[in-house]
Amino acid sequence: MADQLILRPRSEHRFHASPGGRSMKALLQRLPIETYVVTFTVALWIALSLTAPNFLTENNITNLMRQTSIAAIVAIGVMCTIVIAGIDLSVGSVVAFCGVAFAQLCGHGLGLAAAAAITVLAGLAVGLINAVAIGRLGIPAFIVTLAGLQVYRGLALLLSGGMTVGGLPSNVKDFARGTAVLPNLFWTMLVVGLLFHYVLRYTRTGRYLYAMGSNAEAARRQGINTFRITLTAYVMSSGLAALGGLLLVSRLSIASPSMANAYELQAIAAAVVGGASLFGGRGTVLGAVVGAVLFTTMSNGAVLLSVDPFWEMVLEGLLIALVVYLDNLQKRRQSGN
Amino acid sequence: MQWKTMLAASVALSTLIGLNAARAEESIAVIVKATTSEYWQWVFKGAEDAGKALGVKIDKLGTPKDDAAGQIAVLESAAGSKPTAVVISPTIFEALGDPIAAVTKSGIPVVIIDSGAKTDQYAAFLTTNNEAGGKAAAEAVAACIKERTGKVAGKVGYLTAMAGHESLDSRDKGFVEGMKAYPDIKLVGNRVANNEEAEGMNFTADMVTKDPDLVGLFADNAQMGTGAGASVNEQKLGAKLCLVAFDSDAGELEHLKDGSIYALVIQDPYMMGYGGVWYGYAAAHGVRLPKNVDTGVGTVTKANMNDPKLAGLLDVSKRKLGPFIGN
Repeated sequence: MADQLILRPRSEHRFHASPGGRSMKALLQRLPIETYVVTFTVALWIALSLTAPNFLTENNITNLMRQTSIAAIVAIGVMCTIVIAGIDLSVGSVVAFCGVAFAQLCGHGLGLAAAAAITVLAGLAVGLINAVAIGRLGIPAFIVTLAGLQVYRGLALLLSGGMTVGGLPSNVKDFARGTAVLPNLFWTMLVVGLLFHYVLRYTRTGRYLYAMGSNAEAARRQGINTFRITLTAYVMSSGLAALGGLLLVSRLSIASPSMANAYELQAIAAAVVGGASLFGGRGTVLGAVVGAVLFTTMSNGAVLLSVDPFWEMVLEGLLIALVVYLDNLQKRRQSGN
Repeated sequence: MQWKTMLAASVALSTLIGLNAARAEESIAVIVKATTSEYWQWVFKGAEDAGKALGVKIDKLGTPKDDAAGQIAVLESAAGSKPTAVVISPTIFEALGDPIAAVTKSGIPVVIIDSGAKTDQYAAFLTTNNEAGGKAAAEAVAACIKERTGKVAGKVGYLTAMAGHESLDSRDKGFVEGMKAYPDIKLVGNRVANNEEAEGMNFTADMVTKDPDLVGLFADNAQMGTGAGASVNEQKLGAKLCLVAFDSDAGELEHLKDGSIYALVIQDPYMMGYGGVWYGYAAAHGVRLPKNVDTGVGTVTKANMNDPKLAGLLDVSKRKLGPFIGN
């Protein structure tokens, strides 16, 4: 019943026959929300291929894949909370906390699979706590997850005694170093991406996330269990952050309490540049992934072109502003103004 | 009823305060730059061992991450509780100068460790000569390149952990100066990271992509060293790229052992903490101290890493009270 009433994600405008046919305006209205980020990324790739001789090499593309994967996985999770008009600022700290927990569990003789399973469970528990604080206690998501940013970084420090945790079994790092045509990290990102794409677009729960983000009160009145949806979003976010922690430890072959510093901001930036709206109801997996690719490419390109590191930061900031501005224009067109 | 409870409570409270005052023990506040880094944990350990030896309580303070305003607040509140002495590692040279001078003026001796501050109002300054450390790194890079190619020539780059930090800037300066001694070396790049291992790893890969003939790289702290080491290990460049990094943590040691890092330039954080507390205690009891003390740097390669003399420097959990390292 509720199924038929809820709003469809706006990204699906392209599937509707638009009144007005082939005019430019109608075409712009039908553009999917990832248009700008994809355009920018493709343009940047072409520009870099022409200007930086070593950009389009197998080695560099493999590096880019490895560098993007973890950021993209974390961004997909944060995007899920943004879709319900929430936010998750705790992910960077959860990556570090889970990474350190995983390394410590391995160090205490637990098998890899068991250590990884416990770590992911810990990540899911973080999501549960966030959701209860937000959905049941009524504390704003911004505050809850800001507290989490402190708490889980603190726990990472406590668990590690402030030290880098090394001495991990060599098969931990073998995963991130390994390739099966494409790097294992990239395959992981693809699997996570496809899974979340499917859930968000084709399942009832996924639709409810968008419905709640568009109008929480309306969603509630239509009989959607908004707490359950809040729980889903935050568990997705923390769960993916925990996975990110495992992958980061594998990549670095150590765990450090200072790792994943400011990942939450990178993840939010990737999601928003990829078309997610901080007001909720809007955001796609493809957008978040391409957003992450765009930032990795900028950083990579800045090194290849010897751009001053301080200018690189300025350019990245300006890029976020520009893409979101264009995206807002698009949104206004879509809403018919 | 209520006023009786209040009376009882206030009597109990004043007794407690009186007891505390009677038992007033000496305490030394040790304020580090970032409590989240392994290096500063070793400083704390040295300070605590010195505190035990002296019978002084050690207050371990600091901000989780480099934060000058936060550190000034910590310093001011620590000074407010009238410790015997303060040991501090200033986060930013300019910013901590006046607050440190103010504490000295209030009669509490201040010992500065690790990094300087813009003031001469302190009891003693114990530091690694970071510039000399950078130079030692340059010499290690040069030695490595010579060992592998027979001559000191080629492209060299360096990774800076964070922008605007006196100790890091001095290391980089020392490194750049040191490399200038070799005319055939070309400095090709510098990247500034967010003091985060994965970022150091990415930058290393990207720098090698840009200059596939890069022969030397300097990583100016433990986070950068761990990240760069992981990247060199991943790309199997250990035999080609001469990577030299500052400090030693678990990640760097692993990569020194697997050959991804050629050499580590190590400091002596344990003795900095130990010496800082000892000097602070001495200053508070009227001992005249040398104003500037060099705690020394050492260079460790795979060849000498098992030297028992270096054991306590590489793995600080084995470090005990001993002389400052000299090079």
